[in-house]
Amino acid sequence: MTAARFDELIHPPTRLAIVSLLAASQWADFKFIRDSVGLSDSALSKQLATLEQAGYVELRRAFVGKRPRTSARLTPAGRAAFEQHVAALQRMVAGSGLTIAPR
Amino acid sequence: MNELHADDAAEALAEVQRRQQQVIDQATVPGWYWWSVGALMVVLAAGVDIRTPAAIGGAVAVFVVGLLSATGLVVRSQFLRARLRNGLLDGRGVVAILGFVALIVGCTLGLAFGLRGAGVPYPATLACAAGGTAMGLGGPVLMRMLRRIMLGNRAGSAR
Repeated sequence: MTAARFDELIHPPTRLAIVSLLAASQWADFKFIRDSVGLSDSALSKQLATLEQAGYVELRRAFVGKRPRTSARLTPAGRAAFEQHVAALQRMVAGSGLTIAPR
Repeated sequence: MNELHADDAAEALAEVQRRQQQVIDQATVPGWYWWSVGALMVVLAAGVDIRTPAAIGGAVAVFVVGLLSATGLVVRSQFLRARLRNGLLDGRGVVAILGFVALIVGCTLGLAFGLRGAGVPYPATLACAAGGTAMGLGGPVLMRMLRRIMLGNRAGSAR
């Protein structure tokens, strides 16, 4: 069972959306994340840099043909932090009797 | 953390699930792919049934190029977005995929040998037409099943 630990770095809505996308991926393309979350290039770069500095995200820059391509993935530490954060949210919800309804 | 209310936590969890669903949905193999593979099976079988070197060579070429192109298109579009985490598809998903393939191959081969035994002309082509139709109809059903499994395995889901 995953330990519950609320993570202040992950919880803000934008970062939670990014990390959740990455949690279901091995690697996710920068443009895919940007378009999914609805951020500008610079705003996403800033959020990814914050997550990278915390050791939660690894960025990979490569070239496809002549075009640069950036991908991101959760590090093992980032995945563990995310799972613990989700467990903390679940504990809070379980204690209240609320149910989760994804839109 | 103490200031976070339970309804905020529920909203955050719903967002976590919705974002993971987004990744899972973009990775679904499109319906046209299954029909393409089904049609390519028919082309290959027709080449085998006609039995001339030119027909067999042409059918094999169409099959290989067609399969590589269709698979390449699907894989490329996923590669350009996000690659699914392996853990989402557990043993049930692997069993569903292998079972689907075994069912299609088994029924197609069984039907082909049965038709040939009954002296029906073009048995492989007819059997592959049936198998290809089953693939076109069954592929999306398999995808729905795999999607359900992956949604159940995403973080934040009740297991």
